[in-house]
Amino acid sequence: MTRQSDRTTYEADLCIVGSGITAAMMAAHLVEHSKKRILVVEAGTHTTPFAQRTAARERYLAYGESPWKSDHLDDQNAFGNTWGFSPSMHVGGLAMHWGGVSPRYSPEDFRVRSLYGIGDDWPFSYDDLDPFYQEAEERMGVAGEQGPVALDPRGKPYPLPPLPVNHNLKQLQQWAANAGIAAWSTPSAKNSAPYAGRAQCQRCDTCYPVCPSGAKYSPDFTWDALVREKKITLLTDTLVRRLEADASTGRITHATGNRTDASGAPVEIRATTFVLAAGFVWSPHLLLLSRSSAFPDGLANRSGLVGKYLAGHRNVNAYLRLPMELLPGINAQHSLVSKQFMRPGRQSRYLRHDLRIWESSVGREPRLRSDDGTLLLGDAMLQDWQQRAKGATARVRAYYDVLPDRESRLDLDDAHRNRFGDPMPKVAFRDAPESAALREWQEESLRELFRRMAKAGNGEILRMENSANDLGQEHPTGGCRMGNDPQQSVVDANGRAHDHENLWVAGAPTQPTASCCNGTLTFAAVGLRTAAAIAAS
Amino acid sequence: MKRNRESSDVPARRQFLKSAGVLAVGTATVAGTACDVKEPAKLDEPAAARRIGFDRSLLDALAATVLPASLGAVEVRAATDRFVRWADGYEPVAEEMHGYGYADVRYLPPDPSPAWRAQLAALDMLSRKTHHVSFASAKPEQRTAVLEVALRGERGDRLPAPLNAQHIALAVLAHWSASPNAWNLAYGARISPLTCRSLDEATRAPLPLAPVDTTTRRTS
Repeated sequence: MTRQSDRTTYEADLCIVGSGITAAMMAAHLVEHSKKRILVVEAGTHTTPFAQRTAARERYLAYGESPWKSDHLDDQNAFGNTWGFSPSMHVGGLAMHWGGVSPRYSPEDFRVRSLYGIGDDWPFSYDDLDPFYQEAEERMGVAGEQGPVALDPRGKPYPLPPLPVNHNLKQLQQWAANAGIAAWSTPSAKNSAPYAGRAQCQRCDTCYPVCPSGAKYSPDFTWDALVREKKITLLTDTLVRRLEADASTGRITHATGNRTDASGAPVEIRATTFVLAAGFVWSPHLLLLSRSSAFPDGLANRSGLVGKYLAGHRNVNAYLRLPMELLPGINAQHSLVSKQFMRPGRQSRYLRHDLRIWESSVGREPRLRSDDGTLLLGDAMLQDWQQRAKGATARVRAYYDVLPDRESRLDLDDAHRNRFGDPMPKVAFRDAPESAALREWQEESLRELFRRMAKAGNGEILRMENSANDLGQEHPTGGCRMGNDPQQSVVDANGRAHDHENLWVAGAPTQPTASCCNGTLTFAAVGLRTAAAIAAS
Repeated sequence: MKRNRESSDVPARRQFLKSAGVLAVGTATVAGTACDVKEPAKLDEPAAARRIGFDRSLLDALAATVLPASLGAVEVRAATDRFVRWADGYEPVAEEMHGYGYADVRYLPPDPSPAWRAQLAALDMLSRKTHHVSFASAKPEQRTAVLEVALRGERGDRLPAPLNAQHIALAVLAHWSASPNAWNLAYGARISPLTCRSLDEATRAPLPLAPVDTTTRRTS
């Protein structure tokens, strides 16, 4: 580190921009597989430390206060259809308050074009990613149950036994079986047994947004260890605002930015290799911001695809009344999962989706008035509640795969600028035409599945709802799509930019599609695959 | 952008808000864990000076009317104490949890206690006007009649989140109803939601509660 005037210059072999879960996984891999000096640059600061999370949880439960202090920058945000996006900008990123749900994609996700004739294939297969899935699961500590092998292929066992199928879920599992659906314990990055120096889950049921026991993995555990052992340098409160590329070679020479503390002082970072691990918004945003006379459309953008092909999924959700006795609250955030519908075989029309099943208290809560309008106070209210509490409500939800349009995009929005004058990102999701044409049928097919499930359990639908039209999509990916053809992609199959040999993009932004299940594990696995390529390069 | 959406992968926000206040009245079932149920932690810095507390004789009379008498006078009193501590510990306009579903940062509502104090006083005025006796001294059926009038127009299909209660009677009732104890009473079992406890016990049905006589006990 050197200082000149108020500018500070940092030097490293490898600079990782962003400190979310993908960056944490990659850094942990790289310190074990290379001798590079690693500098991790985070625009935000440290949020609520572990020792304060029990108290933070108490206030969250009591009042709804955010347990995560100093977790965003007021002037650094995205606009547009931002469903699935979080303004979280701090050490650990959004995964500080993720739910820990960690399913893998299915093999079909990597071959949608080959198998179904729509969308695009990934440049590698599920089998190629399997060891990196395993590595991510082991680094996080994923507790999982091996599903039926035909539905849930994996090379090695989960590192931790599954979270228990509890008293409620056991009954729901039998109901699902009666409906012809194999469902099992949802894989989760939560310690079913003590692991990696962290405690066993105590089903406090606030995994989202804050785990007080440390049983749920969050990236701060990795960063704390790497910093304590002096294996990396973590530079917080520093916003990288531009990457500078040599006009003739395309190599990234340095990054520039500013402190996000009160000083706002300029910062320069010189490194041999740069990795963008800043998620689906901030990674393409930085590339677009880095436009210059030599690269007028931004960096890595020969294809014109930086910020394009934003992908995600939507869902249909339902509550069902069932003739069984459930006691909601035993472990309300844990669920059953089925991957049966992610592997449907050949289809005349494309529909792939996951299925999750939870206990629920919907329809079984206390109320103020009886059906005839009588005010219910005191014991009358309690007696009414006790009657309503009998029976069971289940919640089911299916994410279905939505294929992205090329113009599902992120742009620079001149109407919103940060304190430094940089335009902020604006995102607008758009389905590919073939996917848009299927939407109505797909959602009705899911509603019909739920009706069939209700009937199989002699139950009834209480209510069903779809994702809203105009909010964006969940577990989003894209913006720096990977591929083998430089005209059709931003980075290669390893995440290296086609246009800049020492620039890599990691995790979610590189993914061509977002499957139909929670994405974080895959983001991390894809990032680890990139880390392995960097270590080998 | 619409604001009434919720991540489909976490309990609905409304469900969470139904639990708001839960720790103020919770009882831990597992001792010595990292997250035993406690009173909400004190803020590092006190909120800007604001009036706290309630007319306790009126609040006690209200609690005795809206909370189940079968709890017994001691528990009703304790639940009222917890409500007061919860209301007094609130930090207006603190940042809400943001996560999935919206990019803007949102803030909790202003302090509801001034309106609740005014409503408490109004119950007393209404009692004096209609029954010629203070609310605190009124008979249970008179207090109930006063509340019938005060709560006219309140939706009946569910209780609000305590913080969003438009009337202090609802706030007291909702605050208690969101507690693990209330949940256990309703379901007749020691479920103790949102209480940190052994993972291994999750596979067994929670132990049943002893039946509570909701017909004979009275708090006032």
